[in-house]
Amino acid sequence: MIFSTLEHIFTHISFSVVSIVITVHFLTLLVDEVVGLDDSSEKGMVVNFFCITGLLVTRWIYSGHFPLSDLYESLIFLSWGFSLIHMVSYFKRRKYNLSSITAPSAIFTQGFATSGLLTKMQQSAILAPALQSQWLMMHVSMMVLGYAALLCGSLLSVALLVITFRKVITIIGKNNNQSFSFGEIFYMNERSNVLLNAYFLSSKNYYRYQLTQQLDRWSYRIISLGFIFLTIGILSGAVWANEAWGSYWNWDPKETWAFITWTIFAIYLHTRTNTNLEGVHSAIVASMGFLIIWICYFGVNLLGIGLHSYGSFTLTSN
Amino acid sequence: METLLNPSKSTLKLSIPKTHIFKSSLLHSTFNPQPRTLFHRRTLSITITCKVKTSQGRTNDGKNISKKILLTDTAPELSNEEVKVKPKNGGGALGLVRRLPRRILAVLSNLPLAIGEMFAVAGLMALGTAIDQGEAPDYYFQKYPEENPVLGFFTWRWVLTLGLDHMFSSPIFLGTLVLLGLSLMACTYTTQIPLVKVARRWSFLQTADAIKKQEFSDSLPRASIKDLGVILMGSGYEVFLKGPSLYAFKGLAGRFAPIGVHLAMLLIMAGGTLSATGSFKGSVTVPQGLNFVVGDVLGPTGFLSTPSEAFNTEVHVNRFYMDYYDSGEVSQFHTDLSLLDMNGKEVMRKTLSVNDPLRYGGFTIYQTDWSFSALQIIKDGEGPFNLAMAPLKLNGDKKLFGTFLPIGDTNSPNVKGISMLARDLQSIILYDQQGKFFGVRRPNSKLPIEIDGTKIVIVDAIGSTGLDLKIDPGVPIVYAGFGALMLTTCISYLSHSQIWALQDGTTVFVGGKTNRAKADFPDDMNRLLDRVPELVESFKSKQTDGIGG
Repeated sequence: MIFSTLEHIFTHISFSVVSIVITVHFLTLLVDEVVGLDDSSEKGMVVNFFCITGLLVTRWIYSGHFPLSDLYESLIFLSWGFSLIHMVSYFKRRKYNLSSITAPSAIFTQGFATSGLLTKMQQSAILAPALQSQWLMMHVSMMVLGYAALLCGSLLSVALLVITFRKVITIIGKNNNQSFSFGEIFYMNERSNVLLNAYFLSSKNYYRYQLTQQLDRWSYRIISLGFIFLTIGILSGAVWANEAWGSYWNWDPKETWAFITWTIFAIYLHTRTNTNLEGVHSAIVASMGFLIIWICYFGVNLLGIGLHSYGSFTLTSN
Repeated sequence: METLLNPSKSTLKLSIPKTHIFKSSLLHSTFNPQPRTLFHRRTLSITITCKVKTSQGRTNDGKNISKKILLTDTAPELSNEEVKVKPKNGGGALGLVRRLPRRILAVLSNLPLAIGEMFAVAGLMALGTAIDQGEAPDYYFQKYPEENPVLGFFTWRWVLTLGLDHMFSSPIFLGTLVLLGLSLMACTYTTQIPLVKVARRWSFLQTADAIKKQEFSDSLPRASIKDLGVILMGSGYEVFLKGPSLYAFKGLAGRFAPIGVHLAMLLIMAGGTLSATGSFKGSVTVPQGLNFVVGDVLGPTGFLSTPSEAFNTEVHVNRFYMDYYDSGEVSQFHTDLSLLDMNGKEVMRKTLSVNDPLRYGGFTIYQTDWSFSALQIIKDGEGPFNLAMAPLKLNGDKKLFGTFLPIGDTNSPNVKGISMLARDLQSIILYDQQGKFFGVRRPNSKLPIEIDGTKIVIVDAIGSTGLDLKIDPGVPIVYAGFGALMLTTCISYLSHSQIWALQDGTTVFVGGKTNRAKADFPDDMNRLLDRVPELVESFKSKQTDGIGG
């Protein structure tokens, strides 16, 4: 009883904190340079992180197994993964707009978990015989962390695509204006002493370029990290399957889609090795990966087919 | 330079700078890191990097456009080259034959081809999950009728001729995988291994211009290259110093690890092939108390499958039982097995459960299924009788078993009796002759139940265990590949950073590049360069400054 109360408290605190953080984010978008607000949103994410951690730990203690046995728990864990990524980038003191990706992702997953799903699903269920293994912790946590990182990275790529295509449109629209500012930048390069203010004002395009470059590099880095998690997750799942189902690979739909996801992000990593394909091309591949993760994570469960039917749910409420 | 390739010598050289700093600070410069001036320099350095980047960015932009055009031309270019080469060789069939492997290699190691293959594999797998696998042809006739093709063209003919009903063993899919494997090999051989040679060949850059051309570059006025070397060493770089030039690198393993990733993939593919061709598989449902011989159950899966001595092992099911949660749902299945050799001697005994298989002599026994074999009852003090339980068909995953105990005249055409149903081995639901629910009894409870004048005691519920047996010689290879893949993927995350520096008078030009952590690299570099102490010059060194700069 006390556990479920605790769980409720944690859920509500974290959900409302993330809502506030999102509002603050939009405010900072509208009103520039509100340092205090920005700082408070960071603090909000810290609070949120600890709330979700508390939620998971409570669930772990009272259910007696690692809280990753059904869809609700894995969604909460995914949300935790987003906050974890946010935390890591926060403690490394890097502000590369990652929080504007991680915070909404965290709120959407959590919002979906707490309100979109049936309340019946939120009850901690008993563990099916096949899930009673130490591999559960390794396999599922790695998979979900991998999903979280890959989703973040591919969202950065989507952002890059959006910015790039808007840029293309503006270039077509204001061709003259653009070339003038190019020239100006080159002119600035010639000079050894740059008046910083003038530079800032005149080279908006340069900053946009720098932003896309940053997005590109960060999405590469985060996707690489997610790829490691995904690899470890799939392989530990294969080892587990060899213990529980009798074969390390069964071409089960979930397995297959995880492999498809892996392949797509392997393609992404390969496009990065070629300078011709970097940037927009790789970003397109990463955006495809974004869709495929959702098919893998949700679509397969929605159908409830195959051996991974633990996380399945029905949309009809009776 | 070649002597420097020897690491021991390089460390020898590195010991010199430390003493140098000591001397120089004593003799003619005060060793004085000043935070304020440092900060000042930092802002300056930012503007410089910004500048360089802009030009770089713009030129890159230009390059991108021109390269995009080139991209479509790569393949023809390649063939042009070969046309040129042929006459040099004197032409002839012999030259062609000699050229052929290299040509195939070049085609296979082509990156766009590899990417295409990966897309093909992903697409085929997606198709394999979209089309229901392993159904009878009739199913596909109905699902993909010719009158109403999916997407206007996709009918059962496609499914059956291309073997899409068994996608993951179809020639198309396996062929694509083989092609991908060949590409992997070709790429490792022609691109990655030469890359190792290039990466190992470290070189010093002798001009400031060459250093300024790097992705990151900066200049430190009034600094010593030796200080820089020591600071780089402190943050994990391998540092090589030769005169006024410095070369440092870190994370070289990150550049080599992708080769390991490819080799691990090949290992997994090889293991998978061995699994597919050299395995034995089989499943069996055995009631508690009965025996079976391993060799009778196992069937070969491929042409490499060879039976072993362990096939003569006899397995005796001592007991099959389930664990339950308080809510009544099954928490675990257990089977107590004894393995007997040809002489009937017990060689192993183990209770296996889901997630805890039994391994002996190369084969593995898994707990995968269960069934209700028989119900042992005492009727009116007689017995015990064994009533065979029949599985009843239900939609859904849940199992239901039932049996029937006739009462009265068993020879009459419409015989009546007691029906007993069970979902698991835990409780039996009894129905009377009219088919109405009568009561529930647990086996072993010894509690009699009297239905229509018949006293029944349910003595025991005998389950049968569903076991999967397997011999898979590919598993060790696949596991080795898994281990290698995990390790090398992690190492691949390391970014190979290279730094060059050149002492020009009292100014040190620093340039560097990295292959992965490009976003972090400038920040990390700036942080490192901030720690390089500034030499406050005495007038003697000012003179050299004047000459140098």
